[in-house]
Amino acid sequence: MNCAFVFLLIAPLLPLLAALGIAAHILSGRARGDAAEPPTARIAIGAAWAVVVLMLALDGLALVEGAPGHFTLGAWFSSGAVDIPISFMADGLALGAATLVALIGAVTLHYARNYLHREAGFHRFFMLMSLFLAGMLLIVLAGNAALTFVGWELCGLTSFLLIGYAYERPVATGNALYAFLSNRVGDAGFVLGISLAAWWVGSLEWAAIADWAAGAGETRFDKVQARLLLFGFLLAAVIKSAQVPFAAWIARALEGPTPSSAIFYGAVMVHAGVYLTIRLEPVLLQVPDIMVYLALIGAATALYGWLGGLVQTDVKSALIFSTTLHVGLMFLLCGLGAFEAAGWYMAAHASWRVWQFLLAPSYMHTAAGPAAPAPRWLTGHQWLYTAALQRFWLEGLVRNVLIRPFQAIGRDMRDLDDKVLSHLVGMPARWRAGPRAEGDTAVIVGHGLAGRLLYAIAESFRKLENRLLMKGDGGTFSRMSRVLGNYLLLIESMIEQPRYLILAIATTFIVIL
Amino acid sequence: MSEHATANLTPDERIAHCIEHLGHVLPSQASIRDFVHHNTLHGFQHLPFLEGLAAARRLTGAPAWLPEDDFRSFYRNGRIDDADLAAAMAELARITKLDLDAVLATFDGHAITRGEVLRLSLLQDCSPLPLAQLRWRVEEMGVLHEHADLWSACLELLSIDAGFAHPESLLEGSARQQAGAATASVDSEDFTAEAATLWARLAAKVGAGGTAGELIATLTGEDVPRITRALLLRHFGAHLDLGVAPWHNPARAQGFYRAWKDSAMRDPAWRLESLDVSLDDVAALPDDPLEAVLAELTRLGLPEERWEGYLERLALELPGWSGMFLWRQEHPDYMGIPGAPVALLDFLAVRLVVERIVCADIARRHWNVALNLAELGRFFATQPAELLVRHAYHDREGGDLPEYLLDLIEPHLPAAKDAALPALPELWLWLADCIAAWRATPTAEQTARHGLTRSAWPLFRLAQHLGLTAEALCAIGTPGAEALLRALDCLDADQRGYLWLLSYERHYREQILSALAANHGRWSGHAEGPAAQLVFCMDDREEGVRRHLEEIAPEYETLGGAAHFAVFQNYYGLDDTRPAALCPVIPEVIIPAHEVHEVPKPGAGETARRHAGRIAFRQRWRERWHQLTRHGLFAGVALLLVGAPFAFISQLLRTAMPGRFGALLADWREKFDMPVPTRLDFTAPNDAGPATPQAPRDGFTDAEQAERIGNFLTALGLTHGFAPLVVIMGHGSNSANNPHMAAYDCGACSGRHSGPNARLFAAMANRPEVRALLARRDIHVPEDCWFLGAEHNTSDDRIEWYDLADLPGDLQPVLRALDGALAQACRAHARERCRRLYSAPLDLTPDGAFAHVLGRRHDWSQTRPELGHATNACAFFGRRAMSRGAFFDRRAFLISYDPTRDPEGKVLERHLLINGAVGAGISLEYYFSTANNANYGCGTKITHNVAGYCGVMQGAASDLVTGLPRQMIEVHEAMRILVVIEQTIELITAIYQRQPPLQELVGNRWVTVVAKHPETGALHLFDPELGWLPWQPSQAIPTVHESGDWFTGHRDPLPPVLLERPLGAAA
Repeated sequence: MNCAFVFLLIAPLLPLLAALGIAAHILSGRARGDAAEPPTARIAIGAAWAVVVLMLALDGLALVEGAPGHFTLGAWFSSGAVDIPISFMADGLALGAATLVALIGAVTLHYARNYLHREAGFHRFFMLMSLFLAGMLLIVLAGNAALTFVGWELCGLTSFLLIGYAYERPVATGNALYAFLSNRVGDAGFVLGISLAAWWVGSLEWAAIADWAAGAGETRFDKVQARLLLFGFLLAAVIKSAQVPFAAWIARALEGPTPSSAIFYGAVMVHAGVYLTIRLEPVLLQVPDIMVYLALIGAATALYGWLGGLVQTDVKSALIFSTTLHVGLMFLLCGLGAFEAAGWYMAAHASWRVWQFLLAPSYMHTAAGPAAPAPRWLTGHQWLYTAALQRFWLEGLVRNVLIRPFQAIGRDMRDLDDKVLSHLVGMPARWRAGPRAEGDTAVIVGHGLAGRLLYAIAESFRKLENRLLMKGDGGTFSRMSRVLGNYLLLIESMIEQPRYLILAIATTFIVIL
Repeated sequence: MSEHATANLTPDERIAHCIEHLGHVLPSQASIRDFVHHNTLHGFQHLPFLEGLAAARRLTGAPAWLPEDDFRSFYRNGRIDDADLAAAMAELARITKLDLDAVLATFDGHAITRGEVLRLSLLQDCSPLPLAQLRWRVEEMGVLHEHADLWSACLELLSIDAGFAHPESLLEGSARQQAGAATASVDSEDFTAEAATLWARLAAKVGAGGTAGELIATLTGEDVPRITRALLLRHFGAHLDLGVAPWHNPARAQGFYRAWKDSAMRDPAWRLESLDVSLDDVAALPDDPLEAVLAELTRLGLPEERWEGYLERLALELPGWSGMFLWRQEHPDYMGIPGAPVALLDFLAVRLVVERIVCADIARRHWNVALNLAELGRFFATQPAELLVRHAYHDREGGDLPEYLLDLIEPHLPAAKDAALPALPELWLWLADCIAAWRATPTAEQTARHGLTRSAWPLFRLAQHLGLTAEALCAIGTPGAEALLRALDCLDADQRGYLWLLSYERHYREQILSALAANHGRWSGHAEGPAAQLVFCMDDREEGVRRHLEEIAPEYETLGGAAHFAVFQNYYGLDDTRPAALCPVIPEVIIPAHEVHEVPKPGAGETARRHAGRIAFRQRWRERWHQLTRHGLFAGVALLLVGAPFAFISQLLRTAMPGRFGALLADWREKFDMPVPTRLDFTAPNDAGPATPQAPRDGFTDAEQAERIGNFLTALGLTHGFAPLVVIMGHGSNSANNPHMAAYDCGACSGRHSGPNARLFAAMANRPEVRALLARRDIHVPEDCWFLGAEHNTSDDRIEWYDLADLPGDLQPVLRALDGALAQACRAHARERCRRLYSAPLDLTPDGAFAHVLGRRHDWSQTRPELGHATNACAFFGRRAMSRGAFFDRRAFLISYDPTRDPEGKVLERHLLINGAVGAGISLEYYFSTANNANYGCGTKITHNVAGYCGVMQGAASDLVTGLPRQMIEVHEAMRILVVIEQTIELITAIYQRQPPLQELVGNRWVTVVAKHPETGALHLFDPELGWLPWQPSQAIPTVHESGDWFTGHRDPLPPVLLERPLGAAA
């Protein structure tokens, strides 16, 4: 391997340093007024172009000498049997994708320099965009799942912060939270994938996972294990790329400035899931049944994106549904085994969509007339129209099927905490602050730390006294029995509820398996 | 609208009346492609300015003044001085009948007058602080340290208990003990009366004061608007869409209400949102929107006389969408969208139904009571404590409960949907008692006359600024202190805003009028007639070009008129499929009665045929390129894959060199299309039938042409002394990526380019038949005089000439010289504009600036393609001699008018009625968008999202935002327009007295009028109540050689200055 590829390490580091530089600029308190904007923009844009130049140089080198593929730079950390080095992937896909990411990032940052002039969040925006670029380059170039995950998380976080860019609008912050939480489910999948890989494969390197799938690894390949491993990673991929049934979040993510909507949801981040799927190609090829599911998800998403896109009346939503359609088709291609085609498709789509998104403000001038009507066989169906307009109720369905039950369990836990556990450890529960609350009177007033400490100690002694001695036997006993009664009632009511029945059955199954 | 005026109406009439009334309060902004500036508060124009803005604030809650802090910074920067403030205070004192000289107190022989206190309160912030902020300042910033004695004096005088109760001492129970309230034996009887009063107040507010949703929100804290918006916005967008979506509601043709119902009765979203309504309930709704409205209002139990107020309130919750429904109702054929009737009644019906479903669901969940005012009243009569606690907790405006009480109540008021805890009656009683106990403590400030934040702090601040010591304050005594406090509040927020505005305007007015006075008689016209005359638009943006042209080549004369040039037309450009109505829509909508076609010249038929083919080809592919790649399935994917590399290269080039790439693309496009030599086909046979807006006719007859040309030349005062070449200059603006593009275009042509009108005017005026007819009106255009049309692009300062091929040969040298001078003037103008644009360096050369504005025009990332009207502040009606030779910083509309040839004032009357109204519309729209951009403007552009081609939203689900974006107004100075008319005051008075529209606009002070005597140059300021007030110059105006000497190196607005250069030829 040519040692020049060591410089790949710099690619994600440059935007990261740019983000840190801008952060320092903000913290210095000098990031105010018109004159503070050019330095910030220059740092971010300079870093992006530097990455472009670096990537082009390495691309050239790879063309001449061949791409080195997976390589390791040094140890990062190790835990037990699993070593996690700092490793990179420099095959054609990674190099090409990184070049494209950097180019699109540079164009978008250039655009933002004028577009966000005199915005209160100007510096914040450039910092987050740089951080995002660092994250995205890490996803693309990382040689192992742990590094990829770092990039994955950076993207998720910056996405959340930029949807909530206009944080004075409740709709924006609400949608930011919605997108973030949806993505956390995917993150959990990613973590599951990582742990299973560490457990079964013994390594997090993408190359090692590929070897394992090819039967050349140190540990034996097992189809069931591969399925579970893929389930984790693909859950992350499917959610990041907004596939059915998790497609709803992306249409709500359009509250940020136009350039960030363009690069996150139109052009770059939305493809991260496809990229991850292509990375998993060797494993996927061993378990064709998962590929069938992937193809089905992709086809369903494409249909969802197409029908949804036909009824959107605002330009950004229309474009995002179109994006959903195309990304769905990419998953379909992956599911059909055409991974390379999916890769090229991804590159073409990213190049196109960022352009179209950045031109969205003048859509009504670039496109002169009304859109050509949808096919005749479709337009008459009121129910189907309503379904498309309401985005196939995905949001509500997911909320009712997945979120509500968890919320309910959470609430029961809190009730349990409040009504039973707090009593057992003697903490005053919130609900008891009522007419039955004891009229505590302050005897001492403390000043300063020592005084307050003394006060607190005295107070607790007094409470103990109150509780145990002054109330007498009858009081304590009756209260204890009431607590016990409450406890039993609660358990009984819980058992009556179907979700616990299901939970119990599920637990039984898991134990049996 | 008064209630007794509508007392005898039937319910149907009442609703119709209400919809008509809504036309006055909803934003009447046109669909954004046809944006036209108009007074944002036109519905309040029948009121005097101050009252109108106050009424708007009461209705929408949005103040229409700049924040006081902004005005204070103007004062610090010298943009308002003491004289301005004194004059404005005197004016307000006159309006409010306030005695500013009244002595409030004396100490050490010094008398404190009300005026002194008012002035101090304007310059220094003496307003009450929230308790938490006051505590912060006292405890963390130590504001009382140096003046502890003064503070205690304030407290003593106002009989307020000293000191703050520390937050920790307000913990559970202690406040109750402080108040000495009984802990036991609380009875619901104790709260019955209070709750009954509260309920009566809340229920009475439903109507003009609030919707059912707001009532529910103040009692439960549930965000009703958020829930209803989620259920409604997509339907609104779908119905009003002008072509983004390829697929619309199949029942769209039956009107919005039916279409919505058809969809909603099949929509499981109701269940998914856990709303208590079944699809059968929705299906059972009446089919007629009017019936639905009546049914809903009756169901709510709202007294009939409050219906109108209620509907108004409901419509104003989403003013953008409801305003667009109304606008589309008034423009049924807009864009020729078939089968989508739009009516505001439909909107209101849907809005009412959805509001009811959501609110009824909440009411059922919380209280198991139907959504009906009477039933809710009966329920709360039995639960008085609950009502009091809920209201105190959720109504943050009046409540302002301390944190410990909020903490206490919070666990008992479930906000989440499924978490309805059954609260016990005794719990409500106990909480209500806690609140009552807190209310009785001094910190609550609800019962006492004076409080810490309300009176002690303002008095403390005021005393410091007055220089009062503790002893002096004590000497004044409680009555004196209270008098001081009253003087602080002698004006309300609107009156204070108005006072500041008056002083701000006065400062600028003094400068402008001084410059006009100093400039009087400096230029008296060309000795031997000008080398050429150029008629520009009256637009304030043309002031700069005209000034620079006169500086560079003083031998030219410039004039200004409305750039429709009086030739209202339905214009079909060579490639257009639909006509463009090139005429003004302010003060009233004009529908042209004549059609004009741009046609190929004789002999160019073959080229034209191929041109048409190529245009059609290009447009077809452009539509596919942009639209099919968005919604197409198979073809869309294929096209996207093919197009991706081009899009990629295109964005790299756009980034690297926006100007050159943009110009190159335009060039390629033109070459591809094959330019066709064209002419305008505008002449109808003289025996043609009458032309009406309903049946527009092709072309104008000779008489009609002569009439229009004659009218316009008369208005300009250009009826004699024609130069050999007269240029008619339209204007327009282009920007690369800008939803508000039309807002930068020609207002006189309803937001389009006015070049075609200039071209048409010139072509008409060159016809011998027309000139012969003109001669009968005593307008003798010499035979060797030629009219030439042109268009000035205000974004990149380039000039496009029309029909150059027809120009007589002997005028070619004249044109060459003019073209050269204009090119230079445009470069100088570009440089002047660049000084206000931060991204352009201050040391740009004229050529550098010219390149910069070209790049800006084509830059897809530019949210400020040009300045627009952001610098407008005044309008001059008069001869150019009035303003030639002075620098007005591109702030003046310049309307040419010759007072010496208008003895009866007929010409001026038309000027004021039409051009005055256009100028006022522009200036007032800018005023309101600047004074309160969040409410009257449309916020920042960077999160805008074009909805249905008809407006913009913030993000993907919001109201349509109307008004101007922040990027357009950030350099604007928010003031009313100052109109200076060169005419005698007698004549202006006569016009004013016979024209009600002017009485409304001027008499209600929406514009300010000054008369300049044509001969003496004496200036009189018009006051609707006091009449004409003579004005005397107050300041000397410096003189510089040319404008560049004055503006170079400055970014900020500049005061006027006199120039030597434009007078050069005459001297």
